[in-house]
Amino acid sequence: MSTDAIIVTGLFNTQEDTLAAVEKIQKQGFEVTEVHSPIPSNALARALGRKKSKIGWFTLCGGITGFVSGFSLAVFTATRWSLIVGGKPILSWIPFFVIAFEFTILFAVLGNVLGIVTQVGLPDPDYEINYDPECSGSLYGIEVASAPENLDSLKDLLHHTGSLKELREDK
Amino acid sequence: MSQLTFETINTTVLNTLSRPGKGYWSIIALLFCGAALGASCWAYQIFVGVGVAGMNTPVHWGTYLINFVFWVGIAHSGTLISAILFLFRANWRNPIARAAETMTVFAVCVAGLFPFIHLGRAWLVFYMLPLPNQRTLWPNFQSPLMFDVIAISTYLTVSSLFWYTGLVPDLAIIRDRSKGVRKKIFAVLSLGWSGKTGQWLNYSRAYMLFAGLATPLVISVHSVVSWDFALSVTPGWHTTIFAPYFVAGAIHSGLAMVLTLSIPLRKILKYEALITMEVLEAIAKTIVFTGIIVGFSYATELFIAWYSRNSIEMETFWWRAFGHYAPEYWIMVVCNTVIPLLYLSKRIRTHVIPLFVISIFVNIGMWFERFVIIAGSVAHDFLPNAWGHYRPTWVEGGIMVGAFCFFFFLFLLFIRHLPSVSMTEMKEMIHKTE
Repeated sequence: MSTDAIIVTGLFNTQEDTLAAVEKIQKQGFEVTEVHSPIPSNALARALGRKKSKIGWFTLCGGITGFVSGFSLAVFTATRWSLIVGGKPILSWIPFFVIAFEFTILFAVLGNVLGIVTQVGLPDPDYEINYDPECSGSLYGIEVASAPENLDSLKDLLHHTGSLKELREDK
Repeated sequence: MSQLTFETINTTVLNTLSRPGKGYWSIIALLFCGAALGASCWAYQIFVGVGVAGMNTPVHWGTYLINFVFWVGIAHSGTLISAILFLFRANWRNPIARAAETMTVFAVCVAGLFPFIHLGRAWLVFYMLPLPNQRTLWPNFQSPLMFDVIAISTYLTVSSLFWYTGLVPDLAIIRDRSKGVRKKIFAVLSLGWSGKTGQWLNYSRAYMLFAGLATPLVISVHSVVSWDFALSVTPGWHTTIFAPYFVAGAIHSGLAMVLTLSIPLRKILKYEALITMEVLEAIAKTIVFTGIIVGFSYATELFIAWYSRNSIEMETFWWRAFGHYAPEYWIMVVCNTVIPLLYLSKRIRTHVIPLFVISIFVNIGMWFERFVIIAGSVAHDFLPNAWGHYRPTWVEGGIMVGAFCFFFFLFLLFIRHLPSVSMTEMKEMIHKTE
């Protein structure tokens, strides 16, 4: 997308209309930069060529860190005084596994949250750019980039694909 | 369900967030007074000493721990509905998932108060945390009580984060339909969510992972709670069935509480189109299933006590059924296993009044189950000269009433200030069925 490109957002009623419009717009050589939708859609993600989420890696790293931390904490605390309590050995692996398990879940979830922050891009203070509030309710918004000289043909195209209204934002 | 559209879902849920009337604030004030009564009883106990409670030799675990187990149990069903049924793609969960998740968060908060109250000197609670200290003492992680500290704090953290993550797209809907200060508040709370394809892709993945992690967690937490008892050598507690028995009981009581909360919620907030009779019926059918598991567990306990030929185990279970706490035992059996079978009748499970009344019976039965297990076992263990009885005092009663009021106070505040039905999940559900 060139720096002097103009972004036009077309609003659509249904996911099916939106998918059909995205395909037509892309065929006409315009770049669909983003789609805002009220519900998740794998079909839209595929149409926009979005890559698979990497959040699972954050969760996995969190889980591994948690397991090691939980086990280490239990071993560390047990070996500070090395007192035999209740006839159990100082290093009681089975009880320690419970602590390691809880830490695994806790840190995996914290890793998941870190994944949301970094991958989903939240918090996003600039969310209002090219965004129509109707897109959180019931409509789908397709953001299309266009060179200034192609603006009219893009608006016509959006209109013909069933767009309810078009919003223009200068970059 | 077929007449629902994205717009009607938004309107129905957002209408519940309009300015509440005087009746609502009167109930809130009443519940606040109830919670304050509980807090006053606790303050009295702190000043006078833990002796004001009815706990004494041989019963040192009384209503505080009974309520702790009861509220942890209530919490579990929220995670069952929000996480486990999500992974099984059971769509009937969608209209009640938010209320159930909220119930989980508030129930864990209430449950978490009881170990503090039970400790007596609540300001020494940090002894249980693995903090570097001048005494160079550390918690003993071989103890199931220490498993519990870690498990409950993990559960509170995970369920709160899961709840908030689920709320984010709905908070954006409120933000986009608000003005002034309210818009600013919801803009911060919704973290600038704008429903971009990339956001949804990562969010859906993260939500599924949340559900996948919450599922083993919820099972582990109530197993850990059961090990507080089962890892001791007290007759009536020292059995391997305790973990699945507690998990099934937790889900049973939690589902009953979901019905108890959903039925008035549906009526007062005019959610009939969203929380349909089919949803309530599905919960009732699940209660029949969990009730049968709980009944099977009661029978297994009795059978194993007889089959073991261990005279102390046999005496404990005979005394449970026919001894001093026999009324409590039979309330437990009837309310948890017999009364829920009424839901087998379609006429009963498709009418809100019997649905509601039976759910209350199950709540009562599950409270008594914890009473019978906890107080009943230590009151009558090995030596006849050590046997005794336990009866709660007014201080314990006041704290218990306060805990219930505090829970309903938080829940009522929630339903008029945040969306109590997930608009996004409802939209996903109707989009799939279209």
